[in-house]
Amino acid sequence: MLQATLFGGVALLLSSCELLEFSPNDVRVSDTQQELTRKNLARLAAQPKPTGGDTLRFVFTTDSQRYYDELDPLVSSINQQRGVAFVLLGGDISDFGLSREMTWVQEKLDGLQAPYLTVVGNHDLVGNGRAAYQKLFGPLNYAFTYGDTRFILADTNGREYAFNGQVPNVPWLQQQLADTVGIRRQITVCHVPPFNEDFDPALTGPFARTLVQAPRLVFNLSGHIDKFGESEPYDDGVTYISGYSVQQRHYLLLTLWGQKHYKLDVIAY
Amino acid sequence: MRPHFNALLILALCLLATAAQAQNDPTPDRHGPFFLTVQIGGGQGLVAVGGGFWLADQKLEPEVLVGYVPPSVGGRAMAIFTLKTTYTPYSPSLQNGWQVSPVSIGGFVNYTTGEQFFLTNQSAGRYPKGYYWWSPAVRIGALVGARITHEVVGNNLNGLPRRTTLYGELSTNDLHLVSKFTNKSLSLPEILTLGLGLKAGGR
Repeated sequence: MLQATLFGGVALLLSSCELLEFSPNDVRVSDTQQELTRKNLARLAAQPKPTGGDTLRFVFTTDSQRYYDELDPLVSSINQQRGVAFVLLGGDISDFGLSREMTWVQEKLDGLQAPYLTVVGNHDLVGNGRAAYQKLFGPLNYAFTYGDTRFILADTNGREYAFNGQVPNVPWLQQQLADTVGIRRQITVCHVPPFNEDFDPALTGPFARTLVQAPRLVFNLSGHIDKFGESEPYDDGVTYISGYSVQQRHYLLLTLWGQKHYKLDVIAY
Repeated sequence: MRPHFNALLILALCLLATAAQAQNDPTPDRHGPFFLTVQIGGGQGLVAVGGGFWLADQKLEPEVLVGYVPPSVGGRAMAIFTLKTTYTPYSPSLQNGWQVSPVSIGGFVNYTTGEQFFLTNQSAGRYPKGYYWWSPAVRIGALVGARITHEVVGNNLNGLPRRTTLYGELSTNDLHLVSKFTNKSLSLPEILTLGLGLKAGGR
């Protein structure tokens, strides 16, 4: 009987070799779990726009950090919406910056019918999180165009860089926003909004002014504060929208048309 | 990165020297209390080396391990310093000096080097008090395992250690446990990590 236990045990150990983790900060993952930003952008580029005319519809949700139980209901609710081109996740994908947490979220979000794209949050940068995020998702700053709309996703987690005056990268943001050839409208997406204490205070002004000067900007989307809001905090004509966290079991369904028109629906799940 | 590797090398040499000296000791002592360990995985390094001593009739094994994580695994090279204790209550003997221990339990605490792994919010220097409740540098964990042991019978060791143990362990850590306890949809295998190792010692 002991031998049977032993052989059973050895067989179990050998079959579970994928569990052989060298550190919780290990960033090695399978090929299918890497470069999701690039892969989802390729999927999006190949996908015809699901809504007619100049209308574009997408979902904004944020802060999935350690709310794995809420992700299946989120995914099935989003899959029931019509005309969703893609889903944006506003950062804090993980709670502890561990690659394993990011793969848990990926496995749930794989159930989405639409491609999904992410922006990095402060929790995704803790410990080895930056290396994990870059490997599993991709660049910390990037932009893409879909449905004549330019989306610019920027790392605004200034506190994680000890407020070094370089995050967010305002010159990069200006450069992206200036490139409007063939663009009907623009949207910026970040995790920490400029009116939060975790945003580099030296860059609040430059960031806000960059958005004021940006041609055809519809609004800025952010996460982090776990509190929905839609306002013009600087009275400068720029709308800032803060999304619901996954824990709050609500998300935003955003429909754009024309140059600056949009409809915001709050969906509970 | 290089200093970590050098530290590992020096530690390994020290352990080998200690082992060699122990074997030259003329006094016969059937159960010399010290052992050396080599482990792979278990969240404690691609490879970890160290050693400890047997207590409580060889059921309790406190030990120290130093693990190395190469840049290909973690983005940057890291060293992991682990204090670990394993308790093996039953080790029934088979023939020819073999023992099979169906269950070991244990716990560990470890420290990972690297400037990205801060010890406290204060030591990181960029966070208000209580900003993050955990330390990325320090992990506390629990493990269960199984092992087979061979013990040389008689006085002629031929330079071999008296006891050699091959073990496998499944472990988890505080952060994974918090994730599991707050989410029904996470399964137990999702939070487990496998480690395999060899322990040898005694004279």
